[in-house]
Amino acid sequence: MKKLIQMTINDQIYEVAVEPNKTLADLIRYDLGLTGTKKGCDTGDCGACTVILNGDPVNSCLVLAVQADNAVIETIEGLSTDDGLHPLQQAFVEKGAIQCGFCTPGMILSAKNLLDKNPAPTEEEIREGISGNLCRCTGYQKIFEAIESTRS
Amino acid sequence: MLLPTFEFHEPESIEKALVLKKQFNSGARFLAGGTDLLVYLKKKIVSTDHVISLQRIDGLSEIRENETDLTIGACTTMAAISRHPAVQKKFCALKSGADNMGTHLIRNRATIGGNVCNASPAGDTLPALLVYDAVALIENPDGKREIPLKDFFKGPGRTDLKNDDILTGFRLSFPPDHSGAHYIQLGKRKSAEINVVNAASFLTCDPGTRKIRSVRIALGSVAPTPVRAPKAEAALMGNTAGDEAFNAAAEIARFEDCSPIDDFRGSAAYRRAMVGVLTKRTLAAAFDQARA
Amino acid sequence: MKSYDVISTRANRIDTPDKATGKAVFVDDITLPGMLYGALLQSPHTHAKILSIDTSEAEKLPGVKAVITAKEAGQVKYGVSPARYDETVFAVDKVRYVGDEIAAVAATRLDIALEAVSRIKVEYDLLPAVFTVEDAVKDGAPQLHDEFKGNLCAEVHQEFGNVAEGLENSDIVITTEMKSKRQDGAFIEMQGCIAEYDNRGVLTLTSSTQVPHYVQRTVAMVLGMDVGKVRVKKPYVGAGFGIKAAANPMELACCILAKKTRKPVKMNFTREQVFMYGRARHKFHHTITTGAKKDGTLMALKHECWLDGGAYTSFGIATVYYTGSLLGGPYKLANMSYDGYRVYNNKPACGAQRGHGAVIARACFEQQLDMIAEKIGMDPLELRIKNMMETGDTTCNDLNMSSFGMAECIEAVRNGSGWDKKKGHMPPGKGIGVACGFFVSGAGYPIYRSDTYHGTVIVKLTEDGGTALVYTASAEIGQGSDTAFAMIAAEALGIPLENVRLASGDTDMGVDLGAYSSRQTLMTGHATKEAAENVKRQVLEVMSEQLNVPVDKMDIRNGFIEFDGDTPDFSALRTRYIKEHRGWTDNPDSEKLTFKEASRIAFLERGSIVGTGKYKPHSLGGKFKGAAVGTSPAYGCSAQVAEVTVDMETGQITIDKITDAHDCGKAINMTSVEGQMEGSISMGIGEAMHEEVIFDNQGRVLNDDLAEYKIVTSMDMPRVKTIVVESDEPNGPFGAKEVGEGAIMPTIPAILNAVYDAAGVRVYELPLTPERVFHAIQEYRERNKASA
Repeated sequence: MKKLIQMTINDQIYEVAVEPNKTLADLIRYDLGLTGTKKGCDTGDCGACTVILNGDPVNSCLVLAVQADNAVIETIEGLSTDDGLHPLQQAFVEKGAIQCGFCTPGMILSAKNLLDKNPAPTEEEIREGISGNLCRCTGYQKIFEAIESTRS
Repeated sequence: MLLPTFEFHEPESIEKALVLKKQFNSGARFLAGGTDLLVYLKKKIVSTDHVISLQRIDGLSEIRENETDLTIGACTTMAAISRHPAVQKKFCALKSGADNMGTHLIRNRATIGGNVCNASPAGDTLPALLVYDAVALIENPDGKREIPLKDFFKGPGRTDLKNDDILTGFRLSFPPDHSGAHYIQLGKRKSAEINVVNAASFLTCDPGTRKIRSVRIALGSVAPTPVRAPKAEAALMGNTAGDEAFNAAAEIARFEDCSPIDDFRGSAAYRRAMVGVLTKRTLAAAFDQARA
Repeated sequence: MKSYDVISTRANRIDTPDKATGKAVFVDDITLPGMLYGALLQSPHTHAKILSIDTSEAEKLPGVKAVITAKEAGQVKYGVSPARYDETVFAVDKVRYVGDEIAAVAATRLDIALEAVSRIKVEYDLLPAVFTVEDAVKDGAPQLHDEFKGNLCAEVHQEFGNVAEGLENSDIVITTEMKSKRQDGAFIEMQGCIAEYDNRGVLTLTSSTQVPHYVQRTVAMVLGMDVGKVRVKKPYVGAGFGIKAAANPMELACCILAKKTRKPVKMNFTREQVFMYGRARHKFHHTITTGAKKDGTLMALKHECWLDGGAYTSFGIATVYYTGSLLGGPYKLANMSYDGYRVYNNKPACGAQRGHGAVIARACFEQQLDMIAEKIGMDPLELRIKNMMETGDTTCNDLNMSSFGMAECIEAVRNGSGWDKKKGHMPPGKGIGVACGFFVSGAGYPIYRSDTYHGTVIVKLTEDGGTALVYTASAEIGQGSDTAFAMIAAEALGIPLENVRLASGDTDMGVDLGAYSSRQTLMTGHATKEAAENVKRQVLEVMSEQLNVPVDKMDIRNGFIEFDGDTPDFSALRTRYIKEHRGWTDNPDSEKLTFKEASRIAFLERGSIVGTGKYKPHSLGGKFKGAAVGTSPAYGCSAQVAEVTVDMETGQITIDKITDAHDCGKAINMTSVEGQMEGSISMGIGEAMHEEVIFDNQGRVLNDDLAEYKIVTSMDMPRVKTIVVESDEPNGPFGAKEVGEGAIMPTIPAILNAVYDAAGVRVYELPLTPERVFHAIQEYRERNKASA
């Protein structure tokens, strides 16, 4: 039976009826059309579906949409503003931290959450802060550089 | 990958959760962090008609402390455990287990209750909980009971919980002065690892004589459940802490306290050898803390 | 040295702002009106005859729009190499591995499609199966394909020079083996596709592919359609690494379903299906004998390799040849022999993956070079320098190094890593190792025999004159090719990068063989350059007519027309342009005539200014059987130094640092070149350290997820020092050549040599799991105890 839920995504309120077996990732992508959130495994191993749920980055493929009732969610679409790219997005572009780009939205959200909580992370903290976001293209090097360039 | 269809329930109290569980019995499963259950459902390793979420039950996600104990709610996430001041100060081996579980994304969802109820021999927090002598807090329609964690595990994926039980949390006594504990996990890579072997040790010793007053060693991935190492512990009791005693205990642990098997993650022989290394290293690190 | 305005910079990639903001569209992000969802029925058995298939229950399910089996799909054989077309869309008579496709369903919802698949009843007669090379070649072993007796998919026997004599004349002869494991590409975007069939009979397939061109040909051939009626497009692709370099059965099934239902159909692999489909790096078993003189001169190399191929050929013919042909270099070696065998068995097919065929052979050989160096008391770097090929050299198997900065790469890593201070002076448990490698800049010949151009490009100027549009069928899959071609077009045309717009990855735009064998920068780059130069010439011709200045006295740079000598009076042209430009407020007032003005005038005089470019390599290679594989217009090369720490009690290895130098010819985009180097190293580290596809005894993949198939995480990746060595490649556009695959070549052997330096153990099997290293250390200690 569908359940009516309400959530705030990127400062916008959504009210949707969802089947209990729908994941948050599928809801965001297929029902709400926020396709910046990617799916690379569906089992919580790759981090491509990372969203920030009530202040913490999580794999949205391992959250039921119904569990997110009343939640505040941030997806990659919420980062850039009318003024342009978020500084982290800009740093990823300038440092060459993006190749195929499939891991990028999740990677940037993890990095943003890390910097929000810890504006001056050490290299080790940066590595840990994105350890759940697999990237097969870059070898992470330029991702480290991009994050380092935006820390305070 | 799609999830199978099921009914979703989100009780706000333990009582209501127990009523639901009794009603649906084995047709229902509790959902805590979901990082294992939802994977198992997607992969069709388990099936269920009813999912009972525990996440909105007041108090289940809290860590409370009094003068003697720390009580950790079953739905506390790994991330919350890791950043709790009392855990950081007094239960560093548990913090280390929580920090090593899965990835930073998983740790924001995965709960300690889930980690324990899955009863994987490789569970990351289990050796630490065992060496801190954690007590599992259980409720069912008939009342509450407590059980030492060392008696909780019955086999891979099997526990002492009955169909109408809920695991509500754990109680850990604060370690005494002159004690220390350490956890080490060994896998193939440095993140998102499923342990080949993991181990934790706890010891208390006399600051003057270095005599070991109490010691607990727990080993993971080398038996059907995480296990204590009673023979190695017995050999250490009353002995003088130091490399000699730790090396001897490590030898006993690997030959007498574990029964590893071969699987695709590692061979029994390697696991047995690593029980020795990890036992020795965790004891030495625990001892360093105990005399600090 | 020529100076450049656009190439050789660190320009931001043109695709990454969209990728950073989530706007970049990948195939699963697309939803079309009336779209159906497809699902595959795949074999649960390793080897079985299909006795019957009953789809009636599936068809009855409400929402199901089509169910197809071999009956509907036909029996046209396809594959990668025409010499070994051994696949059909669906199993016809039997299934050969767990995952072999049997049927497909299209339905209004994915859950309905999956439910329908589960209702298809297949009656099987189980057959005995084989899973290893050893079992598959035994007398009486179950046979996978009637046409290929003994399960021998392909064999290669080559000898160059005289190996027996070379070994006889050697002072040191070393024979070792190297065994690797099956790999998985582990790209983060799983394969997916959408097929549409319109009312005029045109089939459009949008797919996560590296090779729209080959997919187009395969779809047309299998469905019996004209190539002109099949259009294949790729949206953004979440990488491929070789695995997406051929048409897959899901793409074909999707096309058939769309044609049958006349509705768009979307299909995706799950991560499990990615593993089940396979097509990544083979499992190799090499035996190599290398002979050398006491002074370090390499004399001969004898090489045998068995490839665990799986149930079908896929890229296997190319693989088994590449395995031999890309070994001898980058060293001068007159005598080399190779015996290669690719064997079928009841597991998923193996195919191509970054460093196609050559990675494990190099791991074996480069380890032997260190063993030789140790025996003769020579620094491993010096041994390599002593034997190194130079620009202009040709290998004994006829591969010509038209540019070759190998010696510069070695010096770069020697200095960059502090080799001279570290080698021989590392504390116990720490070690340093070096290795070299080279790779093709594009296969010299297409996969099917043809005189086709390997790439065609169209450049068109917009009518207002502001912008150059580049149309190419090449495949941006993450490596940065779109940006490289936009930069090449801008440079060749003489305009800023922001005035170039590029569209790619669509077979309607021309022919391009796609993203594989590190070919695009050189090949598509040539075609882009030619097309842009063509357009430039047309604009200058019109200027010549208008201003009465010879074409060769003019140039375009940075968006302005440059004149040799005095600038002619162009005020009439400017007035004409401004009249055309009424209503705009940005009329030109520069002292120089702008490209914008010039190209607007050119449009007014000639209509659309369109230039085309094309490229195919000159005739390459020798005359012997298989001579084509390994040929290329140019070769990239690299040297790497790895530094490691080995935990002598647990066998755990930590890679502390990698220093990598790569000769990529002229770097079109410096940042992208470094990105390819770093990415290659990360994949090499994964393969060296923990990646392996593991099967149970029934041929099922045990670790079919990214938790148990362990690629490198941010915690595992060491800091990498990349040094770009630029040579001037005569066969490359602006002197450019490859970087995408060559950079993986030295990674594994550099690590192996560093582990030896740290722990005293040589390991002859991958990956270097703690357990394998632990056992090697134990054996080493036992041996030393025994000999003490």
